[in-house]
Amino acid sequence: MKAEAQPSFVGGATRPLRARLADWLGVLPFFLFSGLFLIGPTLILAYRSLENQAGGLSLENYANIGTPEVIQSYGLSIRISLATALVGGIFGFLLAWAVSLGGLPSGFRSALSTFSGVASNFAGVPLAAAFIYTLGRIGIITALFEWLGVDLYDSGFTLYSFWGLVLVYLYFQFPLMLLVILPSLDGLKRDWREAAENLGATSGQYWRKVALPVLMPSILGTMILLFGNAFGAHATAYALTGGVFPLATILIGRQISGDVLHNPGLGYAVAMGMVIVMAISIIIYSVLQRRSERWLG
Amino acid sequence: MTRHLKRQLISLLAVLALLAVACGGDTAVTTVAPVTTGAGGEMQGLIDAAKAEGTLSTIALPHDWCGYGAVIEGFKAKYGLAVNELNPDAGSGDELEAIRANKGNPGPQAPDVIDVGVAFGPTAQEEGLIQAYKVATWDEIPDDAKEATGYWYGDYYGVLALEVNKAEVANTPQEYADLLKPEYKGQVALSGDPLASNAAILTVWAAGLATGATGEAAAQAGLEFFKQLNDAGNFVPIDGNSASVGKGETPVMIDWTYNAIANDVNLAGNPDIEFAVPEAGKMAGLYVQAISAYAPHPNAAKLWMEYLYSDEGQLLWAGKGFCHPIRFEAMVAAGTMPADILAQLPSSEGAFFPTVDEINAAKKVVTEGWPTVVGVPVE
Amino acid sequence: MTVVTAPVAVGGKLPPAAPSAKRSRFWPSVFFIAGALYFLTPLVATGYWSLKAEKDKLGFEAYRRIFDDPEFARSFLESIVNAAAAIVLSLLIIVPTAYWVTLRIPRLRTVVEFITLLPFVIPGVVLVFGLIRLYSRPPLLLTATYGSSRVLLVCAYACLSFPYMYRSVDNGLRALNVRSLTEAAQSLGAGWATIITRIILPNLRVALLSGALLTFAIVIGELTIALYMAQRTFGPFMADLVRNKVYEPAAVAIVAFALTWAAMGVIAWLTRARKTVAR
Repeated sequence: MKAEAQPSFVGGATRPLRARLADWLGVLPFFLFSGLFLIGPTLILAYRSLENQAGGLSLENYANIGTPEVIQSYGLSIRISLATALVGGIFGFLLAWAVSLGGLPSGFRSALSTFSGVASNFAGVPLAAAFIYTLGRIGIITALFEWLGVDLYDSGFTLYSFWGLVLVYLYFQFPLMLLVILPSLDGLKRDWREAAENLGATSGQYWRKVALPVLMPSILGTMILLFGNAFGAHATAYALTGGVFPLATILIGRQISGDVLHNPGLGYAVAMGMVIVMAISIIIYSVLQRRSERWLG
Repeated sequence: MTRHLKRQLISLLAVLALLAVACGGDTAVTTVAPVTTGAGGEMQGLIDAAKAEGTLSTIALPHDWCGYGAVIEGFKAKYGLAVNELNPDAGSGDELEAIRANKGNPGPQAPDVIDVGVAFGPTAQEEGLIQAYKVATWDEIPDDAKEATGYWYGDYYGVLALEVNKAEVANTPQEYADLLKPEYKGQVALSGDPLASNAAILTVWAAGLATGATGEAAAQAGLEFFKQLNDAGNFVPIDGNSASVGKGETPVMIDWTYNAIANDVNLAGNPDIEFAVPEAGKMAGLYVQAISAYAPHPNAAKLWMEYLYSDEGQLLWAGKGFCHPIRFEAMVAAGTMPADILAQLPSSEGAFFPTVDEINAAKKVVTEGWPTVVGVPVE
Repeated sequence: MTVVTAPVAVGGKLPPAAPSAKRSRFWPSVFFIAGALYFLTPLVATGYWSLKAEKDKLGFEAYRRIFDDPEFARSFLESIVNAAAAIVLSLLIIVPTAYWVTLRIPRLRTVVEFITLLPFVIPGVVLVFGLIRLYSRPPLLLTATYGSSRVLLVCAYACLSFPYMYRSVDNGLRALNVRSLTEAAQSLGAGWATIITRIILPNLRVALLSGALLTFAIVIGELTIALYMAQRTFGPFMADLVRNKVYEPAAVAIVAFALTWAAMGVIAWLTRARKTVAR
């Protein structure tokens, strides 16, 4: 059970030029397509982040990102993304484990994975509304508690809080984790489990020493997907809490789309800041990835 | 290896072919029409030119806002033009962004006309995003509601009211001060985010004016009022809308009278909606129309304006939308405002109509202060 | 890569029998039930609310208003076609790229992953206006007609699916041993095309299915880009229904959920693995 060791024939003077060019041609479609439809707009975003309100070019928008208000909103966005990535990652993994390796009937797995497909994109206004119908002031669970004699909202609980927002975000984070980690769980060879048991390992030891190390690169990769997913989310938070939680995405919306403030350049600069945060996250994740790959010997 | 290379090239060619096919569409030439003043004789020429264009592209016109659904249908029926409605939920900022992004675009994504908050009129004009046009009834638009050379012009107005869901609220509050009473605990909401919604920011200012303060001090007083409201536990810090009132999530919401009436009609008693217009701090809000300088259908745009400012258009705004159309005073004086429509419009007597400069000054105070003064602790 | 599969007697003692039924299904069941409760409760609440359109009585009035509208079927169909096109496009681009990056140019991995995550941090409004700016004038005029704008829309959707598609495919590739498979196939004389289509793709079935399901959901529900691109797809239609309404949104949410789930069921069924004869 070897890890994906560094290939013996990657990039080097050992390979003929033609072969190396062919390698790059293999990724050309991707770069071409993303260049046309993704990087192009990002460059426009970067250019417009340099426009100030007088119409000229300057760095003043970036200076304005340094204000406590904007920093706080980045912090808030990062916190909620981390929280939902971790909680979503862990419980999503457990759910995926339950339906793939847990011995449950296979119908459960296909029902849950197709459901997850839908739920992963059930976000924005309908999701916020669904949770308001459930746990809002007039929600059915709130009513249930009232019937049992407990006034939820009086006791300090509110859906419109950080953890309330986390609870709602998890609705699309769990399914995402589940769907994306299923192929990895399927790839865990049964032989390894049997071999481990033959060598006297307990279930815990199997997971700790065999399965999780093998899965870690995929788990990390999927968690950064969850992080990015939450980081860029806007509609759900806005629908649930309005502008009360000034996430970075909401700040951007106010400057670009709103009826009150109108400094699109600042909005674009905040968005560029988000791109940078994402880039830093990828770097951290790559470092963690490479470490985890080393476990595999 | 070469076979694979070939397949790559073929797929690349296929993509390029796809793009080429897509590029082969019609390209209409955009013309920025010169400034004209509409007058009776030119109407037929305008109608013909508009019909030749065939379509009008609008943006940010929800059907339930001021009866725009009826207005659009009326326009379509009268002139046989198609109306291409872009994002009805767009904010004023979005509308300007749409014009900027679509400069020179002959396609259906470019808006021809915009309807924005009054503070956005001058901004759009400075950036050269709009073109001037004076409708036939130009003189009946009050001077302080239009830009003198015709770049932007008020279309309708309303006053802020306290809208309540009668199934949840027994006593309708009559003034802003009433909202502080304990019976409204956990019930009062703004109709949007004060940092993004025109109505919300004007509400904060209005609450300040209701305390007796004036000018910029009123904006600060408004912030204080909402701080009090929040501390008392009466303020629900979410963005209200017609649906949240109807559901009972935000049983008391401050919004334009026309939205409150429309909500009542929409819900048809399930539940009942009532509203009260506060006398202290009576705030009026004006929206303005403009034609995009890059409109792909400039003649259709002008015809639309003529329609909106004709008696027919103004009466639709009043009758179906419960808004005060901008020519209200003139029409009442001329007797062209039917009594039944007049009866259902709440009075705007004594309302405060802020100028653009006043709005901008108040905005500055509220937007800078809101996060800290009414700071809802995050977590 | 072979691993011992037969139980081996160690020190004269046979290892314990494979604890299949005994490794109880307790925890899997607990997680499944907890998950089911969490997912279903908000849907039940929404469903309950959707039945309240008529005062003081439960009924399907809100649903009737939706299905009576001919625009419903038309826009749903249009979105399905867009989704299918976006899925195919995304697969065609991502699968070879992920394969190549894993096998040949691992140095590029971080860059490629960063690009695939860009759709998360570019707001939809910014993306659509950026695309319009780029492609609304000659020589790259794609916005002139509804049809060409639709092509642009599908390309944008394919980009939106990149994070999910890439991660799924990458996870799937990691679960295979791509290098050995490729080397073995090459030593048997297979060309790249054969390797990808007959060896890699079949083994990526679950990953491809995950990616396809996620892409489908994104396209069906997408709103902002479709609105500004002046496309009459399902997202804008649903948004029209719920604007300023109180009960319809709940019904629309339930209907959209059920329809999308059914469509996904069809996708999953179409791509199910053929039953293989054991041994």
